[in-house]
Amino acid sequence: MRGDLPQIAGTADISRVARRLRRPSSRRASPWAWFWLALGMLYFFVPLVATLEFSMRAVRGRYTFVAFQHILSDPDFYRNFGFSLMWAVITMVISLLLVVPTAYWVHLRLRRLRPVVEFITLMPFVIPAVVLVFGYIRLYGSRPLVLTGSPVLLVAGYIVLSLPYMYRSVDAGLRAIDVRTLTEAAQSLGAGWPTILRQVIFPNLRVALLSGTFLTLAIVVGEFTFASLLVWPAFAPYMEDLGNKKAYEAAALALISFGLTWASIGIIQWLGRGAPGQTQVTGAH
Amino acid sequence: MTVDRLSVQGSVVDAAPSGKKGGAPRARPPRSRLIDWLAVGPFFLFALLFIFLPSLQIFIRSFQDREGHFTFDNIVTAATGVDFVNAYQASLSISLITAVGGAAFGFLLAYAVIMGGLPRALRTFMMTFSGVASNFAGVPLAFAFIATMGTAGLITRLFEAITGLNPQRDLGFSIYTIWGLSIVYMYFQFPLMVLVMAPALDGLRREWREACENLGGRTYHFWRYVALPILLPSLLGTTILLFGNAFGAYATAYAFSGSFINLVPIVIGAQIKGDVLYNPGLGNALALGMIVIMALCMTGYGLLQRRSARWLR
Amino acid sequence: MPNRRLTRRDFLKFSAAAGGSALLAACGGGAATCDPITSADTIALDTLTECATAEGQLTTIALPHDWANYGEIIETFKTRYSLTINELDPNAGSAEELEAIRANRDNPGPQAPDVIDIGIGRTVTAMEDGLVAAYKVATWDSIPMKDPDGYWWAEYYGALVFECNMDIVETLPVDWEDLLRPEYRGMVAMAGDVLQSNEAVQTVLGAGLSRTSGAFEGAAQAGLEFWAEMNAAGNFVPVIADVGKIAQGETPLTVEWDYLALANRDTLAGNPEIGIVVPQTGVITGPYAGGISAFAPHPYAARLWWEFVMSDEGQLLYLKGYAHPIRFNDMAARGVIPEELAAALPPAEAYANAIFLTVPQLQEANTYITENWRRVVFGE
Repeated sequence: MRGDLPQIAGTADISRVARRLRRPSSRRASPWAWFWLALGMLYFFVPLVATLEFSMRAVRGRYTFVAFQHILSDPDFYRNFGFSLMWAVITMVISLLLVVPTAYWVHLRLRRLRPVVEFITLMPFVIPAVVLVFGYIRLYGSRPLVLTGSPVLLVAGYIVLSLPYMYRSVDAGLRAIDVRTLTEAAQSLGAGWPTILRQVIFPNLRVALLSGTFLTLAIVVGEFTFASLLVWPAFAPYMEDLGNKKAYEAAALALISFGLTWASIGIIQWLGRGAPGQTQVTGAH
Repeated sequence: MTVDRLSVQGSVVDAAPSGKKGGAPRARPPRSRLIDWLAVGPFFLFALLFIFLPSLQIFIRSFQDREGHFTFDNIVTAATGVDFVNAYQASLSISLITAVGGAAFGFLLAYAVIMGGLPRALRTFMMTFSGVASNFAGVPLAFAFIATMGTAGLITRLFEAITGLNPQRDLGFSIYTIWGLSIVYMYFQFPLMVLVMAPALDGLRREWREACENLGGRTYHFWRYVALPILLPSLLGTTILLFGNAFGAYATAYAFSGSFINLVPIVIGAQIKGDVLYNPGLGNALALGMIVIMALCMTGYGLLQRRSARWLR
Repeated sequence: MPNRRLTRRDFLKFSAAAGGSALLAACGGGAATCDPITSADTIALDTLTECATAEGQLTTIALPHDWANYGEIIETFKTRYSLTINELDPNAGSAEELEAIRANRDNPGPQAPDVIDIGIGRTVTAMEDGLVAAYKVATWDSIPMKDPDGYWWAEYYGALVFECNMDIVETLPVDWEDLLRPEYRGMVAMAGDVLQSNEAVQTVLGAGLSRTSGAFEGAAQAGLEFWAEMNAAGNFVPVIADVGKIAQGETPLTVEWDYLALANRDTLAGNPEIGIVVPQTGVITGPYAGGISAFAPHPYAARLWWEFVMSDEGQLLYLKGYAHPIRFNDMAARGVIPEELAAALPPAEAYANAIFLTVPQLQEANTYITENWRRVVFGE
C-alpha cells in the first residue's frame, strides 16, 4: 500500500509517535474481558458440540466420523461449495464497488440522503426472498429482456440480501475515521475522487470492509431461495436435499459447511491483513 | 481539475463536521452535482431495478383479491385480524428482545476482544468466527439448539443425569416459546453486533483513554463522557440492524417451531408458500405491513440519532 | 395461449387431426412434426420421444428424491430418454409451484416448471387460474381419481401412520386415542406445519375421523379438539418432525405418510429401530395430483414424463418407494405387481378401512382446520 499521508494537526504527529510506542500487548488483560469471552464461547460452541455428538452416532453403539466421510467423498459437495464460493467472491467485489462510494458520498456530502439510503438498505429484511425472486423472474425473465439465463439475477439477489450488512459495516467504519479531514488532506495534495477512494478511503476502512465481506460470503454460501428457483448448482440447495434424506450426514454437513465457511473467511482475513507496520491513519476526530 | 478542486474544497470547507453549525449559504456549483450523481447513481439504479421494482408487486397485490380485482379486504384483514395483530406483537417483541439483548452482549464481546487487552489472535478468531456464526441460521441452527436443549438434547441429558428429571417430559418445560426462539436468534445476533461494532471500537483512540485518566477520570467517566457518545450513532444503527434481522427472520423460526409460534414472516409464508393456505393478496398485505413498521422504526431511529448527535462535541 | 375448456366439437376436430398425424408418424414416414399441442388426447409414444428429445430438457419442481422414490423415477427417466432434468426447489409447496408457473409465463428458460405435483386440494386453484394444460395419458382409463377433462390426475397415495423411535417409545400405540396416554408425554409430533403442509392438515383430520368413526361430518372439529387435548396434556411437541429429529429423539413418535416412514426406516437402518403402526381407525389417505404447466417450455417432454410415471413401470417405481400407486387395484387385478414389492408395505388388511375423501371435502376440511387451529389448540 502507498505510504502514509501527512497529518494535518500537530497533535496527530504526537499521537502517531505515541501509537507506535504502545502496542496492544502492553495492555493488561481485564478479567472481565476473559469472562465475557468465555461466556460467549460457551454459548456458541455447546450447540456445535451437540450437533457433532449427534452426527457421530451414525453407527449404533459407538462414536464414529463415518457421516463426515460420506460427505467428504461426495463429488457434488465440492462442486456445489466451489460454485457458491466463486459467486460469493464476485458478489463481494461488486457489492463493495456499489456500497463504498455511496456510503462515502452520503457521509461526506449528501447528508440529507442518508435516511433514504438507510431505508433502502433495511428493505431486504422485510421483503421475503421468495417474493423477490419471483419478482425478478417476472420483470427480467420475459421477452424482451430475458436475463434468467445469465447469473445476473442470482448475483443481484445476493447483493440485495447482503446489502444491509455491507452498508452498515461500511457506515460504522466511516464514522470511526475522520472522513472529512482525510478527504481534505488528499485533495490538498491534488488527488481526484477515484484516487481518494482507492488510496485513502479503502485502506482506512480495511477492518470495516473485512467485516462486510465476511458477512457477504457467509450469506451467499447459505442462500437457498434464489439458487433453487433460478436453477443454479449452489451449496444451500445441496444441503437442503441432503437434510431431507439423511439424518446423521445432514448434521455432519452443517458442521463441515460451518468449518469451510470459517476457513474461507479466515483466508480473506489473512489476505486483507495489510503489510506489517501499517498504521491506521486517522486524524483527530 | 483546478475548478473541480476549488468547487469541492469550497463545499467541504464550508460544511461543519457534525453538520450542526450552519455554514454561510453557498451556491452549489453544477459540476459537483454531476460527481454526486456518478457516485451514488449506480447504487440508486441498482436499488430501483432490484429492490423497488420487484417489490412493487407487494404493493400492487396487497390490493388485489384472488381474481385480481381491487379490494381493501387484505389490508383490513392484515391490520385488524386477531391472528395478525398477535403476530405483529410477537414479531416486535422477539425483534426487540434479540436486538437489545444481542446488542448488549455483542458489544461486551466486541469490547472484550478489541479493548479488553486479550491476545491479538483472539480478536482475529472472534472476527472470523462471527462472520460464520452470523449466518448460521435456518435448519442447521434450529437443529443445533434442539440437539442442545430439546427433550433429548445434550444439556437436557446432562440435567437428567444429575437430577433424574427430564425438563420436558417430567416438568412440562418447553423451549418452543418466544424466549426459547430468542435464545436461538442470539446465535446470529451476537456475531453481527461484534462484526459491525468492531471497526467503531477500533476507532476509539487509546490516547483518549489516557487523556481522560490524566484529567482524573475513571473508567465510568471514560465511557459516559467519551466512548459512548462517540459510539452511540453506530450502536443505534447496529441495533436497528439487529432488529431488522430478527424481524425478517423466517427460516430459523420455521425450522425451529413451524407456525406454532405466531410470527409475521411465518404468517406471510403460510399465505404464499405451502400446500394449504393460499392468499397471496393477504400475504403481500402483511409484507406491506412489515415494510410500514420498518419505516416507523427507522423514523424512531432517526429521531434517536439526532438526539444522540447532541452528545457529540 | 389461454387454455380454455374444449367443446365437444373442438375435441372431435382436433382428435381427428391428432389421430391423423399420429397415423402418419406410425407409418414411419420420417420425422413427426412437433406442432404446438392443442388437444388433450393421448399422443403416440414415438412422437413424444422424438419431440421430447428435440426439446432436450424437462423442468420439474417439488420432487424431493427421497419422497416416494422420486430419486429413482427421475434417474430412470433421465437415462432412458437422455434428457436433462432441471430440478427446481424440491421443498416447494403447491403454492410455490403454482406461483412458479405464473411468474415464468413468458420465460422459456429452465426456471419455468413443465410438470407439477400438487396436493389434491390445490387442483381447483390450478384449473381456475388456467395454469395447467389437459392431457390424457395412455393409461387414462385405469386411473380412479382424476379430472374428467384431463387437467389433473392422482399419481400415488399413502396413509398416515405412527412412526416410532423404538429407543424411546416402549409400547407402540395402536390407534389415535393411544397418543393421549401419559407415557407419550413430550413425544408426539406432526411431520409438517398445519398452515403450510397437507400432511399436517390430514393429521388433524385423521384424528378427527377416528373420533367420528369415519364420518366426515364434524371430523375437522373433532380433530382440532383431539390436538387441543394433546397440547394440554403436554404430549404434543410443536416442532416439524423430520428423520433427523426422530433419530435424535426430539420427536420419537411422529405421524407421517407411510411411504415417508418406511423410507426413513430404511435410511436409519436400525440406528435407531423404527416401529411403524397403521392406526386402527381414521386411516386417512392423501393422494397427490400431477399436472402439466399451461406455459410449459417443453410440452412434449412434459407429456413423455407423465406417460412414464403413469405407466406400469413408473407406478411400480412408486411402489418401490413404499407409496401406493393410484392404479394399484388395476395393476393387482392384472397381476403385474411383484410379490416382494407388495410384501414390503404394511399388510393390506391395515388399509381395508382407508378413507378417500373427495376434493370438495378436502378443501372444506382444509379451510376449517386452518382457520380454527390457533384458536382451538392454543386458545388464542
